[in-house]
Amino acid sequence: MDIAAKTALVVGGGPAGMEAALKIGQAGFRAVLVEREPDLGGTLRKLVSSFPRWENPADLISVKVQMLEGNGNVECLTSTTLISTERSEKGFWVALRHLKNGGSRELDVDAVILATGFDLMDVSVYGEYGYGIYPNVMSSLEFEERLRTWKEGVGPMPKAVAFFKCVGSRDRSKGFPYCSRICCMYTAKQAGLVKDLFPETKVYVFYMDYRAAGKGYEEFVRDVIEKKHVRYVRGRPAKVLPENGRLLVRAEDTLMGIPVEVVVDMVVLASAIVPRAETRALAKTFGALTDEYGFIEPVPYTTMRSGERIFFAGGCGFAVETQGALQQGAAAAAEVIALFNKSEF
Amino acid sequence: MDTEIYTPLRLDEIEGSLQEEILENLGVDIETCLECGKCSGGCSNGHIFDYTPRKIVQLVKMGDEETLSGMDALWICLSCQLCLDRCPSGIDIPRILDYLREKAVKRDVRATRPNAKLFMELMLKEVRDKGRISEVPLMIRFKKKTGQYLKDAGLGFRMLLKGKLSPFPSRIQKTVGFKKLLSESASENKG
Repeated sequence: MDIAAKTALVVGGGPAGMEAALKIGQAGFRAVLVEREPDLGGTLRKLVSSFPRWENPADLISVKVQMLEGNGNVECLTSTTLISTERSEKGFWVALRHLKNGGSRELDVDAVILATGFDLMDVSVYGEYGYGIYPNVMSSLEFEERLRTWKEGVGPMPKAVAFFKCVGSRDRSKGFPYCSRICCMYTAKQAGLVKDLFPETKVYVFYMDYRAAGKGYEEFVRDVIEKKHVRYVRGRPAKVLPENGRLLVRAEDTLMGIPVEVVVDMVVLASAIVPRAETRALAKTFGALTDEYGFIEPVPYTTMRSGERIFFAGGCGFAVETQGALQQGAAAAAEVIALFNKSEF
Repeated sequence: MDTEIYTPLRLDEIEGSLQEEILENLGVDIETCLECGKCSGGCSNGHIFDYTPRKIVQLVKMGDEETLSGMDALWICLSCQLCLDRCPSGIDIPRILDYLREKAVKRDVRATRPNAKLFMELMLKEVRDKGRISEVPLMIRFKKKTGQYLKDAGLGFRMLLKGKLSPFPSRIQKTVGFKKLLSESASENKG
């Protein structure tokens, strides 16, 4: 049997999935990339700018899309979703459905890479922050959309914006004892962007500590504080109250041990990163390992293998930044390529 | 501040002005503060400061001039420069304190600690006259003014035994040139 006829199914067209499909295609195997949105890019498509180099995420996406389109081994199926699957003798039988025209398609694949990304937790469980009650209290992803419209010159300038970090993350009482890892960085990015757009706007970031472990990350956050003049206030905010049509934020400045207040026009919640409900379901059908939260886990001593012919990459494993997602995509592809190259296969 | 501890500070109302003033006048940027507390941990007099160096930087950030000019730390800081020497961001905290002291003197804010100002004046007089501080004569002069002859006598004796105190006054050689320097810098400050 011609080993080049081996096919991998990649579920999810974000940076991790795109990179995985691309590398498998470049190695001479076939890859089918399935994305339920009409365009590739995943969560990255919603983002304005990036850390640590303030690059436009759209540039990265278009480079990857071009490479995917130029590779004859990769088939990108957008607006497509996986409807059912069965494990076969040497792989999986899968059924796909086009979300717009309703057309369906069945195929046999030899391996599957799950790259389904992550979700943000439902922050309305924090009654004290008033998400869902005050329209100007929003999640970090909703704020990316706001940044985009501001960049296009639409919408009034806010006088002050407050960012809350660790909303959900490191909160045992809400069931998320873990650090969501990327919020420190994207919050610094968002805060810095507000200052770039509106230098007169006061920007406050409420934090317990900032975790900037990555090449160029610490320098990035320091620049946001020192050059863009974003004020970092140490303390986890306790309450958001309406005040004359604006929002009053109550917190403790834990460096001084005194209660502080600030009036702002907008509150951005850096919500905890959680696995998607769909990921849990997919993990179950494909027999992938998951942790207690529902993130996909690797089989011990492997990188991105989570079961028999099942691999994963990106945010479905845990919160990861774009660069990390690309690396994991490449690593998952390497596992698949190694499997496809096995002689007994 | 202690009495008003339950009145939340409004960050948007007071912040910024003092911090900018210090950046402009002294070139000291406290935004580089990492809030690590290394300055306070090693401060020579930190154990008797009401506000440690780290908190002082924070108070500047908060623009709380009231607390800053009324605090004890302003007068009992030794200007030993350890905080500056050890700061990972190189923040010149002694320079900030000098600046705040000057401001406090101009506003005639008195130290709450007794004799702090007297000691300061006597010490500066010693520097002006001799270009150097001789501890024993300074102590004698201070004790004559305050009448506290036996206060810290034990400590003084121990220091004498360890050779930390010289009973003889010393002075620099070129006092005339030094005085000229002082008066020049004073007139510069006025200008």
